[in-house]
Amino acid sequence: MNSSEMEPRINHLQIESQVHELLDYPVCTNQITSTIYQCSNDYTGEVNNDKEKPYNCPYSGSKCTATGDIRWLLQHLRNDHHVEMHDGRSFSHRYVHHNPKHLHHATWMLTLLDCYGRQFCLYFEAFHLKKTPMYIAYMQFMGDEKEATSFSYTLEISGHGRKMTWQGVPRSIRDSHKTVRDSQDGLIITRKLAMFFSADNTNSKELKLKISGRIWREH
Amino acid sequence: MDLDSMDCTSTIDVSDDEEIHQDCHSYASVSKHHSNNNTNPNAASGLLPTTTSVHELLECPVCTNSMYPPIHQCQSGHTLCSTCKNRVHNRCPTCRQELGDIRCLALEKVAESLELPCKYMSLGCPEIFPYYSKLNHETVCDFRPYSCPYAGSDCSVMGDIPFLVAHLRDDHKVFYCYGEYFCLHFEAFQLGMAPVYMAFLRFMGDETEARNYNYSLEVGGYGRKLIWEGTPRSVRDSHRKVRDSHDGLIIQRNMALFFSGGDRKELKLRVTGRIWKEQQHSGEAGGGGACIPNLS
Repeated sequence: MNSSEMEPRINHLQIESQVHELLDYPVCTNQITSTIYQCSNDYTGEVNNDKEKPYNCPYSGSKCTATGDIRWLLQHLRNDHHVEMHDGRSFSHRYVHHNPKHLHHATWMLTLLDCYGRQFCLYFEAFHLKKTPMYIAYMQFMGDEKEATSFSYTLEISGHGRKMTWQGVPRSIRDSHKTVRDSQDGLIITRKLAMFFSADNTNSKELKLKISGRIWREH
Repeated sequence: MDLDSMDCTSTIDVSDDEEIHQDCHSYASVSKHHSNNNTNPNAASGLLPTTTSVHELLECPVCTNSMYPPIHQCQSGHTLCSTCKNRVHNRCPTCRQELGDIRCLALEKVAESLELPCKYMSLGCPEIFPYYSKLNHETVCDFRPYSCPYAGSDCSVMGDIPFLVAHLRDDHKVFYCYGEYFCLHFEAFQLGMAPVYMAFLRFMGDETEARNYNYSLEVGGYGRKLIWEGTPRSVRDSHRKVRDSHDGLIIQRNMALFFSGGDRKELKLRVTGRIWKEQQHSGEAGGGGACIPNLS
């Protein structure tokens, strides 16, 4: 599904997703009355003054300056950024690009995951590590650092007799996604290896990377 | 490791103390000296004092290799081999005078009458050769030590068989498993300009045999873990080829230091591995090993 809200230069990057497991816990949909907050991008939101300070919108830190509580951010991500949300503790996404050599630096995709009554951001990014093209996938938790450490997640890429697995702790969205990317706290793969995993019986030089994973609660 | 169980598991610890070099492991070559009862080195080697000093004269003052024609000299008579002459930009390295094109014919002629023992004399070679044919003999001398059979030109360690077996076990981390030998490579290199570490397994045999096995390598710490699973590469593929195909566990230096704990200044990585026999299964797209795309 194409997302028109993406940066123009990654219009051709697509995600195909499948959900493997049903939701374990229902999502909390209670209405909370609170003050209205309006950000410079004209997005309005609600901030609950009783709880913690507002979070920055996890959709590309610098471009969108919206802030709000988690509930508001979820609506904002869905309505204004058209980010997909998937239910379930397990997931499998395929990242496709017909011309991966033309994927620009710091191109990225965001998907939301909903499980355990919480939400997680799954990022997939193309970037350059000192001139070497790489991809990184990682998870962030929509909540504070303390609660983030109660979860763990894995990401896995496999094919042609090889498999790479990353197990990590989701970082809170208090850290910008750029911070997480630059700390390399996720599944990192060189473009060369990504192309190896993408290879099929055709001779195409397309990127077709299937990343599966799951989230679980440690304590 | 001499386990002959269902799978072989092993843990190796890697630290900054290990000699991790870019491109290859290189160690000073080692030769075993047989005990020599005679204290006079010249007499023991069967050389007359004059032979030794002439031989020393034939040693290039810059690179210390033996000099062969054309042997050059400067106006003051300082000698130089032809390789070094090309590198010194027309200045004598001994006295800094300008070099011309003076050939030291006299030294070349003296060398003709010099006879020297084979350099592997201490390993048992009894032969003596004229200066100009000694080199040729040494390349085929029966007493010359063996090169490390592992990774061919990538490792320059030499020695006799018991020494090499110990070297293979300790430095190349060779495992014996399922009746076959596997070697674990660990090296630091630059991916573009970023420092990374890579670990991968090679199989001492050819590619078709290697596909019967799978291996995994794991590093981790602090709630994070990176696992690589793959098919061991045959030693027919040079270690450089495997390295450049990224067919193994690759960690950025920062992450490796993170896993090492402490103040992140010192590398102290624990790599855990497993080798197991691949079950033949059919029908997986890509063949599950039967069809492997070019990993160049």
